[in-house]
Amino acid sequence: MAPIKDTDNTVREYIITVFTENQVGVLGRITSLFTRRKINIESLKVSETPVKGISMFTIHAFTTEDTACRILSGIERIIEVLRADKYRTDELTAQQIALYKVSPELFLKNGDACLKEYSARVIEINPEYVVLERTGAKEEIEALRKYLSDSGMLLQFTRSENIVLHNSTVETALNGIIDRQDYLGD
Amino acid sequence: MRYTDKENISGADALLASLINQGVETVFGYPGGSITPVYDRLQDYPELHHLLTRHEQGAVHAAQGYARVSNQTGVCMATSGPGATNLLTGIADAMLDSTPVVCIAAQVPAAALGTDFFQEADMINMTIPITKWNYQITRFDEIVPTIAKAFYVARAGRPGPVYIEITKNALVERGDYHWKPCTGIRSYNAVPSVEPQAAADAVEMINAAERPLIIVGNGVKISGAEAEVLQLAEAGNIPIASTLMGLSSIPSDHPLYIGMVGMHGNVAGNRMTQEADLLIAVGMRFSDRVTGDLKSYAPKARVIHIEIDPVEINKNVRTDLPIVADAREAVQAILSAGTITRKPRPEWLAEAARYAKIELDKVINRQLHPNREELTMGETVATVAALSKGEAVIVTDVGQHQMMAARYSTYKHSRSLITSGGLGTMGYGLPAAIGAKVALNECPSTADRDVVVFLGDGGFQMTMQELGTMIHWGISVKVVVLNNSFLGMVRQWQQLFMEKRYNATELVNPDFVKIAEAYDIPARRVTRRFELQEAVQTMLDHKGPYFLEVIVGREDNVFPMVPGGASLDDLLYSE
Repeated sequence: MAPIKDTDNTVREYIITVFTENQVGVLGRITSLFTRRKINIESLKVSETPVKGISMFTIHAFTTEDTACRILSGIERIIEVLRADKYRTDELTAQQIALYKVSPELFLKNGDACLKEYSARVIEINPEYVVLERTGAKEEIEALRKYLSDSGMLLQFTRSENIVLHNSTVETALNGIIDRQDYLGD
Repeated sequence: MRYTDKENISGADALLASLINQGVETVFGYPGGSITPVYDRLQDYPELHHLLTRHEQGAVHAAQGYARVSNQTGVCMATSGPGATNLLTGIADAMLDSTPVVCIAAQVPAAALGTDFFQEADMINMTIPITKWNYQITRFDEIVPTIAKAFYVARAGRPGPVYIEITKNALVERGDYHWKPCTGIRSYNAVPSVEPQAAADAVEMINAAERPLIIVGNGVKISGAEAEVLQLAEAGNIPIASTLMGLSSIPSDHPLYIGMVGMHGNVAGNRMTQEADLLIAVGMRFSDRVTGDLKSYAPKARVIHIEIDPVEINKNVRTDLPIVADAREAVQAILSAGTITRKPRPEWLAEAARYAKIELDKVINRQLHPNREELTMGETVATVAALSKGEAVIVTDVGQHQMMAARYSTYKHSRSLITSGGLGTMGYGLPAAIGAKVALNECPSTADRDVVVFLGDGGFQMTMQELGTMIHWGISVKVVVLNNSFLGMVRQWQQLFMEKRYNATELVNPDFVKIAEAYDIPARRVTRRFELQEAVQTMLDHKGPYFLEVIVGREDNVFPMVPGGASLDDLLYSE
């Protein structure tokens, strides 16, 4: 059998999660692995985990299986990275939060649907505008945006990056790693 | 360790004391504005030899040559801004060739970062993709832990370059010094252990194979697996080929050694890769220069890939059995996991002899015994190999002469070929040779070994100012310029693949002998065959630096050749 790699050229959305030491420059090292391959990052989240000093990155990007594997092993090779994993989008629950600024007149007339059918909630009302908030999958966020836009209500829109729940807690994901200290001798 | 505790010293002192505690004997460097506090303190640390080069690129390549010969970490130093950016090529080269170097540069004061201060360059961002690790020190108390970590990271696991910059304020700040070496980092498992099952599976695969082939790479030298690889080969009667970077890890005259693989590799190495039913790849990365067209590479082979860096597993070639571990430990584990069956393999081993004969007839004889007047690169290299009895460390630049030097040198000792493999950096040769000789001189048992550097007339002119470094510090490198008045490798491609349209490859050269003589280096030009032997002998006998220019055939080509992107099946033997 020839040692030729199976080449699946299907481009899919991947989620890469990374646990790292919370240090300057790690973000740059991770993004450079995408940039050098001309791959756009669709969504990027960085925040500290419940374990002090450890950050978690969540990155969404479209690429092939082969390239996703190479990027993942490149990320694992970064000195500060404790662990990295790769998923397809159906393997993890991803949620975004979105804010919609809408016109108060139209909202008072036809706004009920937003609240009922699209599970939005009002977080601010004033004479100039109303702010709605919605948490959900990317498609759900988009559906409400389209509804508000089509009905002429939408003044402004913003949404967050995806957040995902890792398959395990940070403590289990990093079991045996975070208890260790860097080894400094005498 | 020389310095444990010191009270109230400057950051520059802390840096130098830490280098000495790390065992550094030699630093290749070049001073400048921001780094002057370090140079000011240097004289108080006479145990640290600072060798002033003539360009920062020379400093980093010298550190690389030093590291490659000694298997220790090379160190170079430069100032901020242009000093640091001049290191970039060498850092990128060290990254691709897994060379442990610690590059230390100064940076503008922390308070001025990001203000486009005089000689400020954002080196941290520039070095991200070409370093194994980098760090910006802005305070005195970061110096000791960062330097300790830098040396650990550079050498641990798969070695690589580390770039450390220190802002000027941190160099002049004062504090108390307490040395602590670094022996591990929690987020970096440098040396994964061999899985016993994998070692047992390897034994089974090796014993099942009828036509196995071992391919060794640079990892064999880095991990010191030379003896273990030979033991495995001899146990199973398995032929061994080498990548360019693995050359010299196996003695050229070993009966199981069949030569180099890759674009200008030996016929046996490439053809037997295509016929093998098992490749045992040890410390190599299946680079495109080794595999040619991946779709037709080693079509009959299963693959055992022994490699310390998981990033290389399945990167280019599908691996049946990956063993992610130190090469030496992995081969040891295989040897102790079961008995390797010694099969006679008469036909398989006869293939090696048959291909060697084809190569001798079609290629080697034309290089070594040419029936034309002009000298060849191959015969020059072979003359050096014969007269130095394989004892010299061979350093090369990049191009045709590099491939000729690799092909026609003979190797007795490991780490005796120093060449820029992955990045293919012209200008690497002369400074790397300087670093190599410095490393040999530091150890009494190797101080007598010659360093012979083969350069082309193109690459020599990229860093030829380092002749100044040679005479300044009395570093006895033997320089051989193979002059064909062309950028020969590019010209070869233009000839073979671009209908001989020679664009921007012909060189108008100065009188190289006069240049060497201007540096007070004994120099000689050879143009005729009958002078060659005596001229090489004179060079080798001379105590001190020597410069030999050999005028070789202008349009000589390197063969055999696997054209770029072609299959290993499609070897070219001649024009």
